[in-house]
Amino acid sequence: MLLNFNSLGIWKWALLTITVLTAAFLLMPILFIAALSFGSSQWLIFPPPSWTLKWYGALLSDPRWLEAAWTSFRIALIVTFFSVLIGLVASFGLVRGRFMGRSTLRALFMTPMILPVVVLAVALYAFFLRIGLNGTTTGFVIAHLIVALPFSILALTGALEGFDKSIEDAAVLCGASPLRAKLQITLPCISHGLFSAAIFSFLTSWDEVVLAIFMASPTLQTLPVKIWATLRQDLTPVIAAASTLLIIVTVLLMLIAAAVKKGLKA
Amino acid sequence: MTPFLQITGIAKQYGPVMAVKDVNLTVDHGEFMTFLGPSGSGKSTTLYILAGFEQPTRGDILLNGKTILDTPSHKRNIGMVFQRYTLFPHLSVGENIAFPLKVRGWSKAAITERVRQMLSLVRLEGFEDRKPVAMSGGQQQRVALARALAYDPPVLLMDEPLSALDKKLREEIQHEIRRIHQQTEVTILYVTHDQEEALRLSDRIAVFSKGVIDQIGTGQQLYNDPSTRFVAEFIGDSNFIDTDVVSVNGRFARLALANGAVIDGVPTHGTDFRQGRASLLLRPERIDLRLGKSEGVLPGAVREITFLGNHVQVSVDTQLAAPVDVRLPFGHAALGGLAPGLDVSLDFKIAETHAFQLEDRVPAS
Repeated sequence: MLLNFNSLGIWKWALLTITVLTAAFLLMPILFIAALSFGSSQWLIFPPPSWTLKWYGALLSDPRWLEAAWTSFRIALIVTFFSVLIGLVASFGLVRGRFMGRSTLRALFMTPMILPVVVLAVALYAFFLRIGLNGTTTGFVIAHLIVALPFSILALTGALEGFDKSIEDAAVLCGASPLRAKLQITLPCISHGLFSAAIFSFLTSWDEVVLAIFMASPTLQTLPVKIWATLRQDLTPVIAAASTLLIIVTVLLMLIAAAVKKGLKA
Repeated sequence: MTPFLQITGIAKQYGPVMAVKDVNLTVDHGEFMTFLGPSGSGKSTTLYILAGFEQPTRGDILLNGKTILDTPSHKRNIGMVFQRYTLFPHLSVGENIAFPLKVRGWSKAAITERVRQMLSLVRLEGFEDRKPVAMSGGQQQRVALARALAYDPPVLLMDEPLSALDKKLREEIQHEIRRIHQQTEVTILYVTHDQEEALRLSDRIAVFSKGVIDQIGTGQQLYNDPSTRFVAEFIGDSNFIDTDVVSVNGRFARLALANGAVIDGVPTHGTDFRQGRASLLLRPERIDLRLGKSEGVLPGAVREITFLGNHVQVSVDTQLAAPVDVRLPFGHAALGGLAPGLDVSLDFKIAETHAFQLEDRVPAS
């Protein structure tokens, strides 16, 4: 290795300090909000005068919060299902297909990642207004699917490119129909890609707020929308508790993803 | 009697490129046939057409007199071992071999028995529960062979299955393949670019060049009687000497060498020497070398001596354009006093030479 950490001498400490500060900079807001959710002050005073779980109690006993959380979860699940399914079919086309404009199409599929989300939101809002999809689960799912698909396609094209098609061919010559070979042989071989696609699709929908604000109605709100809407009315530590729950689900999913990745390598 | 496997006039075009131009071949039941040729000669494409992964532009393939071209790959009941390792990585060795049997709806008991038989055929008893990643490349290819043979396919295709293995292991598995072929009597079509592998394994060899088969025959036939310069070059080592054609008498020619010597009775295979020039093939191991100047056909001087283990390669400068390579077996009488610069004379049996056109064929445009 060019730079050996142990032979850096005094610079070792400088490097360590920078690393710790960077980590702190990234993590501080999250830790801050988590700490506040356990604080007894109803004005979000930091450091909290004492600790309590009452905001979680309030959160979990309020049907509106629970409904928002359930809506988020439900929409994220549906988005995950379609994102992986469509992403898989699209990836087969992009990786295996031999047609004109294949690389252009591939770039096109990535555009939702770089397009300003608010532009997409306004466009979808105007369009859904016309066809009556605003404030519906379908509207939510379509909107989130658009931003989730690039992650799914990215993970699945990568996995398919790393998969030797000869293995699938071998299964076909063994007598399996092309569909059966894909289901029984190819899919298990790219399971890590399917898993990444699912997790990233879920998370994209789970914590998405811009599109959700446009799609939401008073009766259909996701958790991030509920947080945002509540925040505009009053500042209550219940929001901190809701945010913390949102983060916990996200972190849990990332940990599972990391564990699966490690398990696949071992 | 209808031939077992018949390939007639197969051609495959990719855009402007003709990968296979016109391949005709008949294979007997139980035969070990090798497609030998350099990369891009069309041998693999022909194999892939047989497997059904490619559709030919023209031509037909008949198995027991019936075309297989309208049968999709998974219904052709053909076995194949690939160049790369294609064991299903998420399944154990036993499950890999069982896969084609499960697809065919065999009973559990029959599958268990068959898997056991196949593992013993490839001498991998006890490996049933191993995962492919925990096996060497050679073992993986043996399992792949067991999987491809488990359902008793009439034809087994092998696409350079040993090219990823090192030389010693390759020879070991070549023996295994030979033994398994004799034991199962399956018809094998084997693709390789390695002439030694082809000679070692095959009953007959089809030499591919530029999308057609140049010659089909046993290894000995190809070596002793090459029908084109390409075959002569590909099987065994060779010296090619440019000569003038003095006259052609039936299937023999009288040729004049650049040093003035004229040799008569050179086999030509009926080649038509349009330009009045011919290329004379001399096998390095069929040339005899004697010390000292003499009246022999090819006097010259030793240029270089290379020791190669069981034989010695001597490069001799003659009055011809390029030096002539001679291969002397270990212990040859002339080797004792041989040194660079010494005068020697080369001799060969004219019946063992061949005359070809200077260029086999007009290069593909």
